[in-house]
Amino acid sequence: MSSVDSSGDGGKWLDAHYDPVAGLYTFSSCIDLADLSGDRESRLVVGDLGTGSSGMKLKVYRGTALISENSLLDLPAGLVAFFMDLHEPRIPAVAVASGPCIYVYKNLRPYFKFTLPSLDINPLEQDVWQQAREGQIDPVMLKEMLESIRKKADVPLSVRSLRFLSLESDEVDEFVQLYKQQPIRRQTVITCIGTLKKSTADEDGISCLVIGTENSDVFILDPEAFTILCKMSLPTVPTIMDVTGQFDVEFRITVACRNGSIYILRRESEKPKYCIELSSHPVGLVRVGKNMVVGCTDESLQGFTQKGKKLWKIILPAPVTTMAAMDLPTRGLQAVLVGLANCQVHLYRDKNLLSTIKTPDTVTSICFGRYGREDGTLIMTTKGGGLMVKILKRTAVFDDMDSTPGPPLAQSVRLNVPKKTKLYVDQTLRERENGLAMHRAFHMDLSRTRVAAARAYVKALESSLTPMSSSLSKPLKMNAVVQGLGPSFKLTLNIQNTASCRPIMNLAINFLYDDNLYRIRNPYMKIPLLVPGLIYPVETFVECTSDKGISDIIKVFVLHEEKSSPLLTAHINMPVSEGLVLS
Amino acid sequence: MGLFDKLVGWLGLKKEVNVLCLGLDNSGKTTIINKLKPSNAQVQDIVPTIGFSIEKFKTSSLSFTVFDMSGQGRYRNLWEHYYKEGQAIIFVIDSADKLRMVVAKEELDTLLNHPDIKHRRIPILFFANKMDVRDALSSVKVSQLLCLENIKDKPWYICATDAIRGDGLQEGVDWLQDQIKTMKT
Repeated sequence: MSSVDSSGDGGKWLDAHYDPVAGLYTFSSCIDLADLSGDRESRLVVGDLGTGSSGMKLKVYRGTALISENSLLDLPAGLVAFFMDLHEPRIPAVAVASGPCIYVYKNLRPYFKFTLPSLDINPLEQDVWQQAREGQIDPVMLKEMLESIRKKADVPLSVRSLRFLSLESDEVDEFVQLYKQQPIRRQTVITCIGTLKKSTADEDGISCLVIGTENSDVFILDPEAFTILCKMSLPTVPTIMDVTGQFDVEFRITVACRNGSIYILRRESEKPKYCIELSSHPVGLVRVGKNMVVGCTDESLQGFTQKGKKLWKIILPAPVTTMAAMDLPTRGLQAVLVGLANCQVHLYRDKNLLSTIKTPDTVTSICFGRYGREDGTLIMTTKGGGLMVKILKRTAVFDDMDSTPGPPLAQSVRLNVPKKTKLYVDQTLRERENGLAMHRAFHMDLSRTRVAAARAYVKALESSLTPMSSSLSKPLKMNAVVQGLGPSFKLTLNIQNTASCRPIMNLAINFLYDDNLYRIRNPYMKIPLLVPGLIYPVETFVECTSDKGISDIIKVFVLHEEKSSPLLTAHINMPVSEGLVLS
Repeated sequence: MGLFDKLVGWLGLKKEVNVLCLGLDNSGKTTIINKLKPSNAQVQDIVPTIGFSIEKFKTSSLSFTVFDMSGQGRYRNLWEHYYKEGQAIIFVIDSADKLRMVVAKEELDTLLNHPDIKHRRIPILFFANKMDVRDALSSVKVSQLLCLENIKDKPWYICATDAIRGDGLQEGVDWLQDQIKTMKT
């Protein structure tokens, strides 16, 4: 007894049993739970597919142990447990559909074998084989004639003829010798099986078997005499079946078919009543109450009403491997279990994901119900042949979280927006009415601002009135500081070469001033080589010669020896000389 | 004290203790209680208990009142209403039901974490029942699967029993009696 890590399922399931090497290869259609010994303890009945060609078995588990094994002759297509009589104690029989037959087991012993009625044989085919038997035609001729029948005839050939046509030329003689004496038979095979209560809805009421065949027919069989009670035809081959109702009252058979459609058959109509055309092929079909949930190959799960109206569709994270219903009436829980190829089993109530179970291997079959004495038991078999049993906790609660993508919950909470004022309303109205004019006015002002800015810029460029040199070869920056109270001032010019790497040479500074007012010690100065990035202070002394307490502008020009126009111009507003006033 | 006990015994005034009998359905709770009653009061047919039933039996020094709770899933939520009154717990396990051992463990954990039980030093007696069934687990294996070694703050004892024949029951009840007496003094 080993346990699996139950992370991800929110602690809703108890890991009762996991046997990774149980050697159980099966699908949900071949698995059922039934009280086979009348002791109120349910057993697990499994139609094991073995390797697909051998080792097909009917296995019965009790608790964690395998208690019985019966060999099956052919691959099981479906398995159901059903009550076929009213004998006490109430022990159900097990019906295994395989090939064209249904094998019925009672008390785990073979009890009855039902074979589907054989189909009509093409008379031409019969004639040809008749001639072969009488030696009138040789195998080569036989092959040619059968080939032509196969192409033309509307009644298909029997399995024997088809096998004959597929043989190599050296095997045909032997084949004809072996089989020519036997009459031709054409058989169909069972594709799906279900049960339908005969006249009462009781849990242990007698049930009819409902079978779907490769020949696109649906039969309802009498449980005691095994006669065909009812025959219905479908346009195509049924693969998955769900049956509800009672045969004598009203019933509804929902079949998913190989052409990607779902048909709904009802009592007293030989043809399907409703048809749902799916966008892709169905993988699983489960009825929940009155609605149907279908899993499709395009990784979607869709809900339909019993009349075929589509209710919802959700996209799954991985392809569906199998589906099963989870019905727990004592707790009012009805949901759908969906096995996915990414080793998860999702539990959906309508389109809402209730819980996710992580499994160590991909699940191929799911069965939920009463196992042993525990009502909420989930049984899964895996791709690798493992058997897993989980029990729903008594205290587990599934909350209906809405997993559909969309706006978060907070978005629908109303904000406390203050009331609109009259001013706001008037303004809004005005904006709405005069929108065009306002926009135009705005653009007019914007253009004007741009023109004014451009003009100012051009003017500044033309007069080189910037403390920044705009010439690309000699980028310079200068600021001036005047210190002192007067009459003599100290004028410091901080010059910086803003080029990234190139030094500037052959620069000079010249001053332009009113010589009635000021005297500058050296009005023409040479500037040393300017290394990029460093700030060079150039100092000179200015003396104010006037005693009238007036000031003027001194213009500073940074000149290059080879150019006539200055690189940089700065206007310095000189302060009033206070020294003279004081003295 | 010994003299007083004897006196009480002579007078037939034994001390009363309330015991809760818990466990999953079909584990044999009612059968065990039935077997502990005097032979003239035993019933022959045991049917699944509905809700709960109150049974009384006496040992050499104590008078037990047992609340025999139903173990069926739908009645298990009744258990917690009786935790307050219980002075001891008998927990019965079906040793042959390997599949539902996890369910028994889950119910035991819920019981031990209940506020009415968690902080009380209440003795718990485990009966690993149905030892007569062929592939039943041993009492050691049962205590392993239920993780009984994790119960540190309560006295507990497990004994293998066969309730139909009555094997092992007396051993368990004697232990319970000793525990209750030491608890009182």
